[in-house]
Amino acid sequence: MQQDNALRQFLLFAFVLIPPCFALWTLAAQMLALPVVGLADLILKNWFPQMVDGLVFHGKGGTVLLTQFGELNGVAVPPSQSEYQLAFSINPNILSYSFPFYAALHFATQKKEYLGGFLVGVLVLYPLFLLGVVSICLKELMVNLGQVFMQQSDVFVPNGTFIALLYQLSVLIVPTIAPIALWLWQNRQTTLLRGVFGWVENVGKAAGAGSDSA
Amino acid sequence: MKRFFLIFSAVLIALFTIEMLNPVQAHVVVPFTSVLAKISAALVSPFDPNVIAMGKVLQFRDTGFAVSIESGCNGVEATIVLIAAVVAFPADWKSRAIAIGVGFLAVQALNIVRIISLFYLGDWNKDVFTWVHLYLWPALIMLDVLIVFILYLRHLARREEAAAAHAAG
Repeated sequence: MQQDNALRQFLLFAFVLIPPCFALWTLAAQMLALPVVGLADLILKNWFPQMVDGLVFHGKGGTVLLTQFGELNGVAVPPSQSEYQLAFSINPNILSYSFPFYAALHFATQKKEYLGGFLVGVLVLYPLFLLGVVSICLKELMVNLGQVFMQQSDVFVPNGTFIALLYQLSVLIVPTIAPIALWLWQNRQTTLLRGVFGWVENVGKAAGAGSDSA
Repeated sequence: MKRFFLIFSAVLIALFTIEMLNPVQAHVVVPFTSVLAKISAALVSPFDPNVIAMGKVLQFRDTGFAVSIESGCNGVEATIVLIAAVVAFPADWKSRAIAIGVGFLAVQALNIVRIISLFYLGDWNKDVFTWVHLYLWPALIMLDVLIVFILYLRHLARREEAAAAHAAG
């Protein structure tokens, strides 16, 4: 009965909190992405110094990956042969919406302490956000520069299939699964989840005891 | 709990890799996506005869505005997450199969609401469409998966309690 109430309350608060959490995130998205864009810029410039000129904010809420190339007749060429610097648009928001989603789940759950757990959750999500931004940049470089990027000498470039899988996982799965996994882990002792996870732990112990005796 | 996360991650990555294979995309995912587009059009057309479906594309006859249902918008990834979670949790296979079947229907029902809502939002305002499409709906679909999974776990826990009470009584 207590669990029924906890579930109803969680669902109600989750749906009530999602709009304001996403609205606040929309306002703060660029600020939230600032450390990740800065770190990804450092990583990519050091990893691919011959390819990447930088990852920078550009325009209203946009981010661009600047390359060391220009473009001539659809082909990447050295900047001296082109009037333009080749750059690819990156949208970090397709990853960072995991923050408002996690916030809505976290604050919708009845528990004693909120702020500390939330800060821990944000700290866990940040490295995944960084990995996601790097994976998007790798995919852009692979798709747009092709062999010029993939066949660099003296630089480790991950396999194309690995980049594709990492990109798909980072964009389609991690932004929604990471907040849920984090929420499940942090709230396993709450009224809402204690019953179900307490039960599975009992099943696990019983199975262990069964295999011991067999 | 650790065992659950390990099995969940392994099944998730395995199914996700299979889903990305070209033959699976060509023979399963794309035809399935076309069926979703047709169902969406069939649901909307009694109220709005301007809507037509061509393959995985939904289109307004009058304005010409169209949306193409792509990978990530067909609920397949959400279903994969649900399957991974259900398989990772200890239960009999009959319960798992029922949970996956019911969960699939729940995910796809909400996904059709998503497709129809995005179709009309896109015709109205491109910026709102982009925001809702890229950020809000993915979270809502995964919340749907979470709710289905919690309800399934509670069903299993209650059944276990009832069996224990019966055995004790």
